Amino acid sequence: MMRHSHFIRRIIATLFIVLICSAGFGIAQARSIESVSFLMAAPFADATQDLVKQFNQEHRGNISLQVVRGPLETEAMSDLAISSLLLGKAPFDGLLMDVTWLPKYAAAGWMQPLEDYFSETDIASLAIGAREGNSYDGHLYRWPMNADMGLLYYRTDLMELPPETPDQLVQVSQSLQKDKKVDWGYVWQGRQYEGLSCVYLELIDGFGGDWLKTDSNQIGLNSKPGVEAAAWLQGLIDQGVSPRAVTNYGEAEALQSFKVGDAAFMRNWPYAWAELQKSDSAVKGNVGITTMVAKPGHTTATLGSWGLTVLKGSSHVDASIEAIRFLTSETAQKQLFLKYGYSPTQQRVIDDPQLLQDKPILAEFGRALKVATPRPQTALYAQISDVLTRQLSSILTGERTPENGMNVAAANTNQILMSAGEKP
Amino acid sequence: MNRRSLVGLLLLWSLGPLLWQVYTSFCSDQALIQPFVSHDQRWTLIHYQSVLNANPPFWRYLVNSLIVGISSTFLCLLLALPAAYALNRIPRQLSALSRLALVGAALFPYVLLFLALLELARALNLGNQLLALSLPYAALSQPLAILLLNNAFNDLPPELEDAAKLEGLSLFQRFRWIFIPLISPATASTAILVFLFSWNEYPIALTWISDSSKLTLPVAMARIAGSSIYSVPYGAYAAATVLGSIPLVLLVLIFQKPIVSGLTSGAVKG
Amino acid sequence: MIIFLLLPALLLLLVVFVVPLFRYAWLSFHADSVITGLIAIPNGGANWLRLLQDLRYWQDLGQTLRFAGVSVGLELILALCIALLLDQRWRGRDVVRTLALIPWALPTTVMALGWRWIFNTPYGPIDHFTKIAGIGSLNILGDPNFAWIATVWADVWKTTPFAALILLAGLQTIPADLYEALRLEGGNALICLRRITLPLLRPYILLALLFRLAQSFGVFDLIQVLTGGGPASTTESIALYAYWNALRFLDFGYSSTIIMASFVLISLICVIAWIGLQVLIPTHPKSRGVIEL
Repeated sequence: MMRHSHFIRRIIATLFIVLICSAGFGIAQARSIESVSFLMAAPFADATQDLVKQFNQEHRGNISLQVVRGPLETEAMSDLAISSLLLGKAPFDGLLMDVTWLPKYAAAGWMQPLEDYFSETDIASLAIGAREGNSYDGHLYRWPMNADMGLLYYRTDLMELPPETPDQLVQVSQSLQKDKKVDWGYVWQGRQYEGLSCVYLELIDGFGGDWLKTDSNQIGLNSKPGVEAAAWLQGLIDQGVSPRAVTNYGEAEALQSFKVGDAAFMRNWPYAWAELQKSDSAVKGNVGITTMVAKPGHTTATLGSWGLTVLKGSSHVDASIEAIRFLTSETAQKQLFLKYGYSPTQQRVIDDPQLLQDKPILAEFGRALKVATPRPQTALYAQISDVLTRQLSSILTGERTPENGMNVAAANTNQILMSAGEKP
Repeated sequence: MNRRSLVGLLLLWSLGPLLWQVYTSFCSDQALIQPFVSHDQRWTLIHYQSVLNANPPFWRYLVNSLIVGISSTFLCLLLALPAAYALNRIPRQLSALSRLALVGAALFPYVLLFLALLELARALNLGNQLLALSLPYAALSQPLAILLLNNAFNDLPPELEDAAKLEGLSLFQRFRWIFIPLISPATASTAILVFLFSWNEYPIALTWISDSSKLTLPVAMARIAGSSIYSVPYGAYAAATVLGSIPLVLLVLIFQKPIVSGLTSGAVKG
Repeated sequence: MIIFLLLPALLLLLVVFVVPLFRYAWLSFHADSVITGLIAIPNGGANWLRLLQDLRYWQDLGQTLRFAGVSVGLELILALCIALLLDQRWRGRDVVRTLALIPWALPTTVMALGWRWIFNTPYGPIDHFTKIAGIGSLNILGDPNFAWIATVWADVWKTTPFAALILLAGLQTIPADLYEALRLEGGNALICLRRITLPLLRPYILLALLFRLAQSFGVFDLIQVLTGGGPASTTESIALYAYWNALRFLDFGYSSTIIMASFVLISLICVIAWIGLQVLIPTHPKSRGVIEL
């Protein structure tokens, strides 16, 4: 009798232990599914939906990636990210970051350094233009997902070759307008916001100048090229090459105007190309891309570029890096380019012969990326850009002369640098 | 001008803008850009669909605002009722001075406090928590609440309390059985005004809440304003405006008496 | 014992109204920004010096004053008209009064979105009417000269009912026999207004004025959603500038300076407005003090 019950007890005990173990194993398995969330601006959140699904399928049981959809406007997106980060622990692990925010976020200590996760070979595989704007103070913080650069769009049905210098652009515009081929010559982003800084950077560099040299803190806004650039922009409106309403245009308005055929030239980012090839576009098939006009030898494209970062304090750093690698892999970039027109960052993707055959426009993207220049990389960027666009806006609306406006802009920039203790 | 037309003008002025939103929220995108031209396919529900089916869904914001509104009102009354009562029982000079200070606080443009309150939220980890918002909201509505309730207490005959004391009622009992029932109109007015304030408050909710599922209505609307991908997003904007206005319109229609009496008594007695 | 009843409310009020002011004053003498790693480091009066030379702040201050002055002025005039209209008893008056209150109850940001649509060029109704009236397309929200008018209009629309209610309360305290007496002497509506209504309404006008003035100096919600501060920063208010300095530029020290300076200036202006209006509107022998100061 004793032996029997002893035996049964053993069986029960063993079964019990097996049950506990398998339950524990199941829990451990469930716990080991790392849940990673990235915050992205609305267009990117939508564009990466398929990729996220693929990632989750491939990593089922290990990592679950979720993309949180943020606002459309870059500024609003940054406000959202900052207010989350200021309140303490942010509710996401990674952030898709615009190139101009990096110094500020890094200086605030919100980002996780990534140099241990990406090797020299990884960096070498990026196109040269895409390597800019990812580091601050010696650390790598951001891995680029798409490379945006400012481009000059032109109507191939109205001209053989695009203009190369600012004067040529004005000439071609005016002759086309005279012949009533288009209402307007050139539409661009003239509203008082970050887009205007991008427009201006291409021109001040194009005229041979420099906005701000961050190593020496030398301000070039009121130098001769700086004033020339501002004067040229104002001249476009005065001479009727650009509509007066351009002082309120963002990317969407300029695109709209060019899309319905009202303008011969447009400045915009690579995404506009895909939009212009849609069926409701009046200029489909008649659009070409080139780099912005500039004095010979000074061609510049403002570097846009969004990249993925990991927030300090995230408990899923490795999983986040996995996700980042996937979203920026060559396959992902090919997909994003073919479907949404996002410019790739990997050199091999840009040189891919199949892609170049399918969409020859990729060659233009590559060419522009080679001359991509970042805006001044300083933690004070938001303030100095603010000050610049303010003065540019008053120049464009005729309230100040270019010389006066750029002098004020330079003085204000100086003030900002000094009160932050940045000036030597 | 006779009275009829003046009244008509007043109603047009007050309700016109809102009615325009209602009108355009039902217009299709094509009809939106030509609101005065007759159109074949004018009417559509897709704007409401897009707002209601957004992520997070629109009703979420209303629930969040409701939670914050109710908790703030409750907390505010909890603190203001005793304070309003006690204000009459401190020395005359002190009481006059306090009243002056409270009026000053009521006038204060509270948006200027956002920075200090943000630091408070950071320090005490109060960010992204709906119930935590009731603390600043209750505090900001204290001055008005105390003044309104104090007026109501002043209107009560002093013999009432003396009689209650004689009967042996404790302070708590006096509150529970005599004061609160007797000043309930003033309490109702105060409650609805505090509720309205909490519901409509923007700068502090903006800085204390960043998680999109926890947003209150005003902040959510501002975010909707900044986040459209379309070149003419105004159909969705109009639908959102109408949906955001409905709760408030209902509140005003239902609680018009306490609202009006609260505002006017506040004015009459300072 | 009494003190315990007051204590919680007092504590909350101190923490939310008084402590911030001291904090701002202290912080304004420190550099506390992303450059300093969000740690406060004393920098003497550098922030104040920067404020004195900051053209943007003084322009914003001017714009805010312009907004507040015009908005409150228009509001009071309109509110008086509305209050006079609602003062008499006629059928449906209560309904109209309630409906007129709706603008005030709506959250500012909700209706600001609506106003953005109404003022939109070229699709909004205002643009349509100006075209019909022959004025042409005005591009109100995009024009640096006119955008502020849109903000004033939206603000007046929202806050007039509140002022109207206050004035209405005042009107209803005026005994009817005063008007009868004056009418017997041969006075018309205008004289009634000047010699009876306005003087007796004075405390209420002062209350409405002070309250509205102080609040509109802090205008924030409306500007942020309706115009974002533009075009060319012409509608930017001091509250918006302070907010951006803290949350966009991460410069808490400078933001505190802006807030502190604005608080002092606003208080000063309110006192001046108070005194000014006391002088402007004469008192009536039968007036009662509303605020016992």
